[in-house]
Amino acid sequence: MEVPILKQGDYLIASIQGALADSDLTRLQENLVRTVRRHRSKGVVIDVTVLDVMDSFAARILRSITMMTRLMGAKVAIVGIQPEIAFSMVQLGLKLDGTMTSLDLEDGIAMLKAADKEDGFGNHGR
Amino acid sequence: MPLSSTHLPDKFLTLAEIMNISEQELEKRKEFLQFGPEDEERLRRLASHAEGYAEEVIESFYEHLLSIDEMKVFFADNDLLTRVKARQKAYFLRLTQGSYDIEYAEERLKIGATHERINLPVKFYLSMYSFYLRAVWKHIFETDKEHPDETMMTFFSLMKLIFLDISLTIDTYIDSREQTIKALQQEVIRELSTPVLPFREGMLLLPIIGQIDSPRARQLTEHLLMAIRANRAKVIVIDITGVATVDSRVANHLVQTVDAARLMGAKVVISGISPEIALTMVTLGIDLGPVYTVGDLQNGIEHAEKLLGYRVEKIGEAGAGNNGERM
Repeated sequence: MEVPILKQGDYLIASIQGALADSDLTRLQENLVRTVRRHRSKGVVIDVTVLDVMDSFAARILRSITMMTRLMGAKVAIVGIQPEIAFSMVQLGLKLDGTMTSLDLEDGIAMLKAADKEDGFGNHGR
Repeated sequence: MPLSSTHLPDKFLTLAEIMNISEQELEKRKEFLQFGPEDEERLRRLASHAEGYAEEVIESFYEHLLSIDEMKVFFADNDLLTRVKARQKAYFLRLTQGSYDIEYAEERLKIGATHERINLPVKFYLSMYSFYLRAVWKHIFETDKEHPDETMMTFFSLMKLIFLDISLTIDTYIDSREQTIKALQQEVIRELSTPVLPFREGMLLLPIIGQIDSPRARQLTEHLLMAIRANRAKVIVIDITGVATVDSRVANHLVQTVDAARLMGAKVVISGISPEIALTMVTLGIDLGPVYTVGDLQNGIEHAEKLLGYRVEKIGEAGAGNNGERM
């Protein structure tokens, strides 16, 4: 299942719509990095609200997306991790260290904006 | 109906061991009942007669049972009834076979546990014993009509043994009830002991009192995560003032809770680290990692307010209104 990537101002929103195969995840990773480059985005929100499983592969991809986009000067927020998933993830030791997480899409975008402001990127550019 | 091993809390222990019924305890019970070797001897002499009347007693016994509506449900099909009758016969015959030792007690406890498990009420159990005693009385009397005194003594011996059985059976009932109540109580205490309190918009307070073991840590984390979603919380203050000791296991649980909350976008402040706890933690080399910790709940809440962007200001001296009125 393809993950649509939407542009919203300076930010990209990747909204996962259903269960993903490993190949879908690697494709998402590639597409995201290219899209960040194309739109010179400042941040990416990945919405995982509908996911009811998070295995080690998915967690690894999410982490590597974070690191890749950081290398390109953008931030990533993972949003919508459900309580059950959060609980099983910490039990499996999948902590997503170094990534920003928040409750939902709205909070995620607010968090990215706040982080940009802290970095002093607030009103530069557009 | 054999007792399944899963029913036992520990399959390596016998029921008698679980319920603290030792050889001495059994001897004491016999002493109370004045059940001695002569009783055992009388019962053994009855054995051959028992073979003769067992069938008849059992038939009348079940005829009586099945005449009661509440009892019918326990013997829904004929197969079951046949099996239960066979067991009942073995049980009756065992009464006159001697060696009433710890193994005998174990058998009796198992029978009690089985009946408890199928929810047979004690009142029926007791009336069944009463029926049995009345039914065999006639037969025992007929074994030796020449010596009514002796047959009466034999009957009394049987009665003592039946009362020993009853005491064991009722103990299994009580023991099982106690365990059910204890389990329920612990459940309730656990539920009550981990409240998640909304403190301000976006802030939750989670005071922990008592020991943190794995099941509790799990339940606590689950509660917290649900509350984060329900309250859209951004900052959580976990207060561990009421936790007596923090060892590496407890620390590990705390770190897991903090990590899980972070995955849902909430920051966690742990408060209530007393000097003693700080001392032991450092001595034991326990590291809470990146978890933000403060000394007391006041500091914890102040820090949480700062994270959320609140500023609490004092707007006057306490009791200023009263002073004003007085002047």
